[in-house]
Amino acid sequence: MQATKFQVKVYTRAGDIELEKLIPVFHEWIRAKKISDELLIDVADYAHVPQGPGVVLIGHQSDYYLDVADNRPGLLYSRKRGFDGDFQAGIDDAFRRALNACRLLEEESSLGLEFATDEVLFRVQDRLAAPNEDATYDAYKPALEQAAGAFFGHAPSLERLGSEREPFAVRISTGAGGTVADALARH
Amino acid sequence: MTSWKEQLGDRIPDQLGGEVDLFEGQIALKKQGKIDDKIFAETRLRRGVYGQRYDNGLRDDGTGQKTLTFPCGDLTKGPDTVWDAPGMMRIKIPFGKLTVEQLEVLSELAEENSDSILHVTTRQDIQLHFIHIEEAPDMMRRLASVGITTREACGNSVRNVTACEYAGVCTTQAFDVTPYANAITQYLLGHPDVQDFGRKFKIAFSGCEDNPCGLVTFHDLGAVAQVRDGKRGFRVVVGGGLGAVPVQAKVLAEFCPEEELFPLTQAVARVFARLGEKQSRARARIKFLVQKVGIDEFKKLVADERETLRPDERWTAFLDDLHATDETPVREAGAVPSGASAGFKAWAEHNLKPQAQEGYYSAIVKLPLGDFTAAQGRALARLARELTGDSIRCTVEQNLTFRWLSGADAETFYEGLVALNMAATGAGTITDMTSCPGTDTCKLGISASRGLTGELRKRLTVIEDELDPAIRALRMKASGCFNSCGQHHAADIGFTGVSRQVGGRKVPHFNIVLGGQWTENAKSYGLVVGAVPSKNIPKAVELITEYYLANREGAESFQAFMARVGKKEFRKVLAPIQKPPSYEEDPSYYSDWGNPREYTIGDIGVGECAGEIVPFVEFGLQEAEQQLHDAQDALEAGQAAIASAGAFKAMVTAAKALVRHLEVQVKDDADDVVANFKTHLHDTALFHDPFAKGKFATYLLKMHDDQSFKSANDEIAHRTLDEAQLFLEAAHACYQRLTEAAATAAAAE
Ligand code: HEM
Ligand code: SF4
Repeated sequence: MQATKFQVKVYTRAGDIELEKLIPVFHEWIRAKKISDELLIDVADYAHVPQGPGVVLIGHQSDYYLDVADNRPGLLYSRKRGFDGDFQAGIDDAFRRALNACRLLEEESSLGLEFATDEVLFRVQDRLAAPNEDATYDAYKPALEQAAGAFFGHAPSLERLGSEREPFAVRISTGAGGTVADALARH
Repeated sequence: MTSWKEQLGDRIPDQLGGEVDLFEGQIALKKQGKIDDKIFAETRLRRGVYGQRYDNGLRDDGTGQKTLTFPCGDLTKGPDTVWDAPGMMRIKIPFGKLTVEQLEVLSELAEENSDSILHVTTRQDIQLHFIHIEEAPDMMRRLASVGITTREACGNSVRNVTACEYAGVCTTQAFDVTPYANAITQYLLGHPDVQDFGRKFKIAFSGCEDNPCGLVTFHDLGAVAQVRDGKRGFRVVVGGGLGAVPVQAKVLAEFCPEEELFPLTQAVARVFARLGEKQSRARARIKFLVQKVGIDEFKKLVADERETLRPDERWTAFLDDLHATDETPVREAGAVPSGASAGFKAWAEHNLKPQAQEGYYSAIVKLPLGDFTAAQGRALARLARELTGDSIRCTVEQNLTFRWLSGADAETFYEGLVALNMAATGAGTITDMTSCPGTDTCKLGISASRGLTGELRKRLTVIEDELDPAIRALRMKASGCFNSCGQHHAADIGFTGVSRQVGGRKVPHFNIVLGGQWTENAKSYGLVVGAVPSKNIPKAVELITEYYLANREGAESFQAFMARVGKKEFRKVLAPIQKPPSYEEDPSYYSDWGNPREYTIGDIGVGECAGEIVPFVEFGLQEAEQQLHDAQDALEAGQAAIASAGAFKAMVTAAKALVRHLEVQVKDDADDVVANFKTHLHDTALFHDPFAKGKFATYLLKMHDDQSFKSANDEIAHRTLDEAQLFLEAAHACYQRLTEAAATAAAAE
């Protein structure tokens, strides 16, 4: 069985972030259907939870978090439903949607946000199909290298993170220094 | 592995596994259109799978109501409930007890199926939000593999049995109530005598009279541990409840010996199933039955019922091993080191409680709005595994308590919390607020209770250390509507969401409820002082606390102060901030906390608070009850004109609910409501009482004609209130007749 609950987190350049400012922005995205091929539903505010999911744009196909876990703010894309297409396309799609959301956030002048592209976190929230173990890593490595190379233009270096209890996670050091727009333009 | 079912194999107990398989089968049948909407809704509710705001597929985006176009098309999971719409899962945690492993699995589910947040509820449950129904069966299997069932977490059933989080380790308990709470949970789960209720039934245990932890007075059935002449038993109370009209439970038995507790409970359940209201949900809780027949008659009914019960060995079998639920500490007892850090000491002041067992402590992890993340849950589980063992409790104040912490490890535990950003100080103080989900996710929410408590928390936390101890000790609780899920009646300062019309627009407000008592099992409820715009609530808190500090006598408690000065004085204090500025002056009043959309009540949906779906009309009738209640308060405060206007409004609200029930379009204004009421309910004789005929309807018609309520003196106000009371009774009865008639017609088809 193929996992599809992929998560991609792209970190912001500056450390501090005023989460409350995301709330009106995400509400406006829903109103304006900013992510036109997805159904956006509501905004969940967890700004009160330290190192938490921050502010979440809840959708049907996926959620978009301005997540502050590990005290490292970033845009976390999280796919919740199945994906029509092969494994590589599914991973590419998750990267693209994450980067696209970053680009949209960078365009919001009220936020003054900028995202870095040198490091990306990839996770799979599916302990049945993708337990956090070597076999999963071996299965995902080529596809992640391919996706990262295609978006960021360099051969990345990968590191599996966390313990067996935690979701399967990989830190991808991309070797890139460009903007999210560059990355999107590349692939 | 291809499925959780296969992966978990026989770690899923047969019984639970079978139930989940059945539910999964029903999901498949529903998708094929082979199960009726209402039946499916009841099925999923009984398994803890609730609806959530916007699940009718409609949402106001701030500029008007929009359709959420889910891919499932017409498929529904209940009347007007879209299949794909996210829902909530309520996970029943008997007496709030979690093992390390359970906390780990819950955290995994929060990440994989929800938004990585676990929420502790006011009845010691855990809730996960934004769940897709098709993921529920596997979630249930994973829960079952660690001994958790969501069965009867919702629906007209026995809800989670709660108990003090200190049961077994408390310094004031008569004895440990845990084995009793545990055994009765198992005994009643799926018991035939508890399947036919008109409404939910909540049971709570308390180890002593004086402390609040059990909150038995607002439960359908409460049991307080007592020892008499060396014999264990319980003072049993019945018929308490919150909601629009809160009621204190009445004493059913001053001393019920331990071996009689189960049969007594069973007898109460049978009387409730037999005689409790079934048609009108608004009056179906057992509190209404107790009120109707009177406690003495109720006692007789229960005693008679008790005689008819066939003895069951489970009534007493658990008494053979009252230590079955004992917890074993993983570390040796020890003293708290004297040279501890200042940070630790500040935390320990409110968050560390000595246990009855020397050298052990219970540590409270104060959660912001009852929330914690999956990663935090996992890390807490690690801490617990190392230091406290399987001794975690979800608390009614939406925190987590870790028991059996050795004093010697207390600082290590604290350091662990600091690393997780979970070492917030001041558990059980003014910064430790409780809130229901409110408009964030609840379909019935009127105001943003979480938005409000989040804001108050933020403001108060910064000044926490400067607060006068008397203020710091106060408790605040918020509910998003009159259903009172946030238990605000039992707070010093409570808030209930209401909306008010101002200059043609709706403005979110909270009714302020003052002087409720948390201790002695929530011995008395607060009184409504008045409604204040949401955005002025922080100011209101400031005014209330300043007024209290400036005028209290000696060490007078807030309850005593409230009892002495009365609502009237507080009304004066709040008067200057009760009126919002116009929209043009300050539009921020026209949206709610944490929600920039222009405020609307258009998103309020049909509630699923229990069992089957609650029709809109019942909310109208409830709202009318609340208005009448407020009117009564006003009369007590000597405000005759406000009281009679309120009573008239209550009648109009009830009339509107009935008119709408007949699917007649009606506007908000009284003229339109009364005109339609006359045409559709009075002239058709639908509202007629079998005996009094049109009498009650004329109360409304006449009052609307002569507008007597506008210039009421005390005497007129009294009469208006009496008439409104009768009108509301008649409205409930009318609604009941209409539903019965519809049911008969359907059966005849
Ligand atoms: C007519 C509908 C409802 C009524 C009358 C109602 C009433 C109550 C009351 C009185 C309590 C708390 C106090 C107690 O223990 O007695 C409660 C608990 C609670 N309610 Fe409601 N409620 C309703 C619907 C809802 C809905 C739709 C939601 C949100 C989805 C909700 C969420 C909660 C929560 C989170 C709790 C704490 C509960 C627990 O774990 O059992 N309620 N409800
Ligand atoms: S009090 Fe009202 S808004 Fe809050 S959870 Fe209960 S029903 Fe919903």
